[in-house]
Amino acid sequence: MKSKIIDELPELVKNQVISEEIALRIRNFYQSQQSDAPGKLFTVFGVLGALLVGLGIILILAHNWDDFSRSLKTFLAFLPLIIGQFLVGYAILKKKSSTWKEASGTFLFFAVGGSIALVSQIYNIPGDLSAYVLIWIVLCLPLIYLLKSHSVAILHTVFSTFYACSLGYGFNAAPQVPWLYLLLMVLMLPHYVHLLKQHPQANMTSIFNWLVPLSVIITLGAFLERNGDLGYLMYVILFGLFYSVGKIPAFHTQKLRRNGYLIFGSFGTIILLLITSFNGIWDFKMDAAVFTSREFYITSFLFCLSSGLLVYLYRKQWLKRTNLFHFVFIIFTVVFFSGLANGVMATIAVNVLVLALGLITIKIGTDQFHFGILNYGLLIITALIVCRFFDTDMSYIIRGFLFVSVGIGFFFTNYVMLKKKKSILKSNN
Amino acid sequence: MKAIYIFLLFVVVVLAQIFVPARMIYDQENVIATGTAYKFKTQPVDPSDPFKGKYIRLNYDVNSAPSNDTTWIPSAPIYITLTTDEAGFAMVKAISKEVPGDLDYLELKANWYNAYEKRVEFSLPFDEFYMNETKAYDAEVAHANAQRDSVPNNTYALVYVLNGRAVLDNVFINEVPIGDYVEKR
Repeated sequence: MKSKIIDELPELVKNQVISEEIALRIRNFYQSQQSDAPGKLFTVFGVLGALLVGLGIILILAHNWDDFSRSLKTFLAFLPLIIGQFLVGYAILKKKSSTWKEASGTFLFFAVGGSIALVSQIYNIPGDLSAYVLIWIVLCLPLIYLLKSHSVAILHTVFSTFYACSLGYGFNAAPQVPWLYLLLMVLMLPHYVHLLKQHPQANMTSIFNWLVPLSVIITLGAFLERNGDLGYLMYVILFGLFYSVGKIPAFHTQKLRRNGYLIFGSFGTIILLLITSFNGIWDFKMDAAVFTSREFYITSFLFCLSSGLLVYLYRKQWLKRTNLFHFVFIIFTVVFFSGLANGVMATIAVNVLVLALGLITIKIGTDQFHFGILNYGLLIITALIVCRFFDTDMSYIIRGFLFVSVGIGFFFTNYVMLKKKKSILKSNN
Repeated sequence: MKAIYIFLLFVVVVLAQIFVPARMIYDQENVIATGTAYKFKTQPVDPSDPFKGKYIRLNYDVNSAPSNDTTWIPSAPIYITLTTDEAGFAMVKAISKEVPGDLDYLELKANWYNAYEKRVEFSLPFDEFYMNETKAYDAEVAHANAQRDSVPNNTYALVYVLNGRAVLDNVFINEVPIGDYVEKR
């Protein structure tokens, strides 16, 4: 395409369609773009290469070369570290390209982990995996800012999540609360905010828009200990928070596929509501001690954060149209605590809530002529019915009719909307 | 920021990155050089670690000590002083909640108090011995086979102890280092 336009330029100038100056500017524009594209590709391959080499070195050293003397093994433990540090230092001093910085930073990240692991191996230091990963992450954290490296920031997020999981989900005997995970994420945040401000449209930014909420979703459960039942509420509120975050203009003005917060928020809410739409869930055994538990404080904090953000969105008039999704977490909180006393009412309320969300989504889909949203709404209702398929004593005939009618609904609504769209297109033409 | 300032900050990071493994090495070497060597009877099994490689996990015969005190709290620090039995293997001399004046003591964590047998149960922390990946499983088998000869348990770990710290130096079957023992078979 580009080369075609550039090939045409002499012809256009000759026939005086464009001036010589414009032709030159077009040529310069495409040339500058061309020189940029391979750079990005280089960065990706550079980082991938460094990642593989780094991991490979860890594996080779983990083989445990017991023919080597202890001092030789120690030397080998430091060798990749020194090489990585030399490369990064060179990249900083010589102001090398971002490709250099990303690749050398990635390599150094693994070299640090490798050297600590190898020293532990040489001296048979018993391993607490989470403590080891924590030291590793902290030693590499400054690289994010010194190199302005996205790949190190990604590795930092992934390994912080790993740290929180290994500490909190109790692979070891006694699980602990990974509070330091919060600090690690906060320390990474300035890099992310900078990225959002300076390069909102970059692919790298959208990777973080997915990675950060995913990491928080994975980790939140690690903060639960005794009062696991509060987890349902905690997660519904978290997804409510993500949904609101996804409505902040910095994210909302982007394409939907770049807005991980909104999608996680919406999907997460629906999935949790579907889980709690089963009557069997609502037999929580909680007493007054719950209200002084850590889980309760975290839940309250999340609730305040979500409500606060919702009010802020209103104040800033960033919410042009509100829908039920914004308020699900508030309704669910009320249902949850009333449900402790009455499980049947809570079950009914959650089912009605999911049905309402499905219908509202269908309405939004038809209003905006968006097939994706329309079918998402239909999917919510289908999922609800499939769930009821498993736990009610409804007769086969009624269930059969329900399925058939929802199926017909799928065809009908899509057909009507397609027709409407066509007629609007026609009238516009 | 100027590249030179970034570089100077990076130098600080470099020093920290080198300091952590170097300090680990120094601590271990110090215990090996100045600590007392003890032989702990043990039984190896074979798991592995994603970053550090294959190791054998050592189950020690020394895993509890008698005590009439019933107020031992799980996971709280405890201190055991060591001595040797007539066969030359390590055994517990005394157990306490405070740091003993003795040099040859270990800092551990209590697992639980067995009220029936009146013993404090604990695990020795130096329970991972890293081996060449091809030898770790063989080591477990070698130990099982060596059990069949006349001596009851002839597998022991050589551990250096100094001021609460312990460094696992090597594991022996019938007085032969386990790595060599596996190779010879």
